[in-house]
Amino acid sequence: MNCNEIRERMPDLVLGMDAATPELHQHLQTCRECAARMAEVRQTMVLLDEWAAPEPSPYFDVRLRARLREEAASAPAGWMQWFRKPALAVSLAVLMVASVTFFRGGNDGRSGNVPEVLAIAEPGSAVGDLQNLDKNHELLYSDFDVLDELQVQPEVNQNP
Amino acid sequence: MASEPFFSKPVVPSEQGTSQPKIEGPEAQLSASSGVVSHMSSLAVERDVLGMGAMAGLNGEAAGPGSDAEVMLRVKAGDDGAFDYLVQKYRRAMVSFMYRTAHSSAIAEDLAQEVFLRVYRSRETYEASAKFTTWLYRIATNLAVNYTRDTRHERPENTVSLDEPDENSGQTPDVADGTPTAEEAILQRERLAAIRQRVQALPERQRLAVLMHKYQHMDYRQIAEVLKLSESATKSLLFRAYETLRVQLKEFL
Repeated sequence: MNCNEIRERMPDLVLGMDAATPELHQHLQTCRECAARMAEVRQTMVLLDEWAAPEPSPYFDVRLRARLREEAASAPAGWMQWFRKPALAVSLAVLMVASVTFFRGGNDGRSGNVPEVLAIAEPGSAVGDLQNLDKNHELLYSDFDVLDELQVQPEVNQNP
Repeated sequence: MASEPFFSKPVVPSEQGTSQPKIEGPEAQLSASSGVVSHMSSLAVERDVLGMGAMAGLNGEAAGPGSDAEVMLRVKAGDDGAFDYLVQKYRRAMVSFMYRTAHSSAIAEDLAQEVFLRVYRSRETYEASAKFTTWLYRIATNLAVNYTRDTRHERPENTVSLDEPDENSGQTPDVADGTPTAEEAILQRERLAAIRQRVQALPERQRLAVLMHKYQHMDYRQIAEVLKLSESATKSLLFRAYETLRVQLKEFL
């Protein structure tokens, strides 16, 4: 056993994680350098012990519990999750049935039995004016193609 | 300490047992129980009553009955009481490990909690082929490395002020009491600052190895598995780290 081998083992020997053999004891008694190094390693370990860590605070568990709950709440539930809540499942089923019934009823109404709600108002009345405005609006924004086909005067200031 | 379990099932934490010595590393915290465990709380009571937590050698590492790997498999199977048990067992070790990375008890607790959250999130993919503590410390070291990298520019390196309270916890750094004079107290604070500074200044893997070896009492094999190194490489890594610390802290010896 040479000095390097012993020095490599020193941290473990000092920390009690390695057992000192008689051969090692003998080496330390005869090798002053290794003995001095061993003392320094021991002192270094004692010094490092001064860096103590705190105990977990009393709130550690509370906080962790809250974080776990938060995570569980925000986790995306699978579609099977719906079936684990009977009240919600029944409510959803009722809602779906009601929606389908209403939708089908709406289609029936469109088949022609319901009178037309909108009628053409008399010209000059307020409703009639608004309907004219709507028509003008449609003309303005939808008939550009017709305008494009017309001959456009090249010079605006030029007399015809 | 925990009056309410994290989930519905009650757990008696072995780490909190009155007869258990308070050692930070996994050796003292890990222990084995004979026989298959039917419930985590009964396991914890059994361990405390029988004093099995102090059994050397059987440290709960092996994936046999009563091991932490087996407990983790129960977590995987949906036993949330088993998760409570693991939290109670390892929370102190995780907080102390993270404290020496973050230098703030509040951040250390946040990071330790994040370790357990990741354990819980990953429960379904856990394989007992890896030892539980290896897996746990891999998660912890990854978090510690990320934290160190993310905050490298935020924290003034090597300028630990022991006179000012921690900005997160409001507590002053932990300095041992019992110093008769102010001068000795100052020297003690300087020593503590130097220790933190020198350990922090070690290369990343050396620093992690020292934290696990010196403060978590993990052996070369365990550290090698966590850091994914060979045992000889780990031994060499630690030798260089301790040599650096010995030389740099010589003035305080």
